[in-house]
Amino acid sequence: MAASLSSTGTVRLLSSLVRSGSLCSSSGSRALHVTAACCKNRAARVRVGKGDKPLTYEQALPPHHIGHRKGWLSQHTSNLKGEEGAAERTIEDVFLRRFMFGTFHGCLANEIVIKRRGNVLIVCALMLQKLPPNKFYFLIGYSESLLSHFYKCPVKLEIQTLQDKAVYKYR
Amino acid sequence: MASHTSKAFLSLGRLNIAGLGLNNSASRVTYAAALSTNSPKGDKGFPQRNGRGPVRKPRREPGEPRTEKMPLDQDWTAVYPAAAPFRPSSVPLPVRMGYPVKGGVPPEKKGNLELIKIPNFLHLTPAAIKKHCEALKPFCTEWPSALDSDAKCDELFPIKVESTDFVSAGQSVRNPSARIVHLKVKLSSFNLDKHAQRKMLKLVGERYNKDTDTLTIRADSCPLRQQNQDYAMYLLTVLYHESWKTEAWEDEKTVADMEEYSWEDSPSQKNMLNVLVRMKVAGEGKGEVREQLLGIKEVQEYKDSVTRLKNEGESESTMLQYKEAVKKVLDL
Repeated sequence: MAASLSSTGTVRLLSSLVRSGSLCSSSGSRALHVTAACCKNRAARVRVGKGDKPLTYEQALPPHHIGHRKGWLSQHTSNLKGEEGAAERTIEDVFLRRFMFGTFHGCLANEIVIKRRGNVLIVCALMLQKLPPNKFYFLIGYSESLLSHFYKCPVKLEIQTLQDKAVYKYR
Repeated sequence: MASHTSKAFLSLGRLNIAGLGLNNSASRVTYAAALSTNSPKGDKGFPQRNGRGPVRKPRREPGEPRTEKMPLDQDWTAVYPAAAPFRPSSVPLPVRMGYPVKGGVPPEKKGNLELIKIPNFLHLTPAAIKKHCEALKPFCTEWPSALDSDAKCDELFPIKVESTDFVSAGQSVRNPSARIVHLKVKLSSFNLDKHAQRKMLKLVGERYNKDTDTLTIRADSCPLRQQNQDYAMYLLTVLYHESWKTEAWEDEKTVADMEEYSWEDSPSQKNMLNVLVRMKVAGEGKGEVREQLLGIKEVQEYKDSVTRLKNEGESESTMLQYKEAVKKVLDL
């Protein structure tokens, strides 16, 4: 009973649509297109290309190799069990990375390594020799004093310079 | 022509540097030296003066790493005097670290971030540690010679206070777990009579360890360590004085409150006496007095075995003793 009613209902609906379709014949009907979800991980992975892209060790290994083939870029005691302050340290890390990226723009050869020894923040960075040494010294001194005043703790920069990036692989 | 142009360059350089407010003398010296020797790094050549702006100094070549200049008998504590990240140009070892590429070797130390990430102990060679010890010796004092054994330490310093300090990375020194204080003391160092000892044990409950005869008081209710220490000492004082006092309501102590089992006036005594009276009545037909029964050696042995069983628990020896006593009392 119900089925026959609905079928007659749809027939009437379709007929009404056909009649009204003469007014807006160009648009047609709108439908929903759905594809299967592509659940791929894209985090920190450099996609395979033609083979001309030079990659450092850090870029070449995806994040599931951390702890197995890669170390940690930032180490502090707040991530141990029962210790506090993990969120504050993480915010500091994020700010430090952006700050270094911006201050030494174009000179960074690799990611920044942040170490904490008690109160002291030690920022280790590998740089390319793009700037003359006196400019480097100025930027290092400026960063150290600004960050020390900002974070109220001694901040030390350990900079090593290279001629060019250390290539691990080409993708 | 060349000399004329060099003078022009020199003047331009001076103006430029004065404008920027940098250290004039040093830059002037290097600048002049570079130009007067006609730029030995020939590939750069003279920057052309097209009015394109300030003339750049020719780029300096990077010097050779320190590892080339290290003698074999150098003082390593001068290279790494304090904890520092790995510097490939200061460590004369051919270290390699990392996962090798297929058919390759681990990446070399130059530009290797993995070596920088890990903590290194290059500043803690035995020679360095010897230097640290020598530097610390003037600040140390001798252990007192009178305290040469643990027993003497316990006798002279019976109360031991334990607290923990925490070190962590970050701007804050504070750690809330640092306020906890443990006070340990042996009860044998107090003079307590039987009643005081029993009362003290009842008052402290779980904090007493029977095997080591140690009372441990844990104080963590105050926010500061000093406050917790004072509170623990106060608790100890109060416990001692209270256990010597006898309150009025302590007379209402029932059998259930007793710490040890005592055979007098217990159901076991009543039952045993009933059984013996009935046996004697059956045998001789005369009512025996209970006190006389209590004096018999077998009954005393039975009393000892039951007391031991109840106090010490069930074990091979206690059960055997009970069996023997029962057999003797009931003439089995």
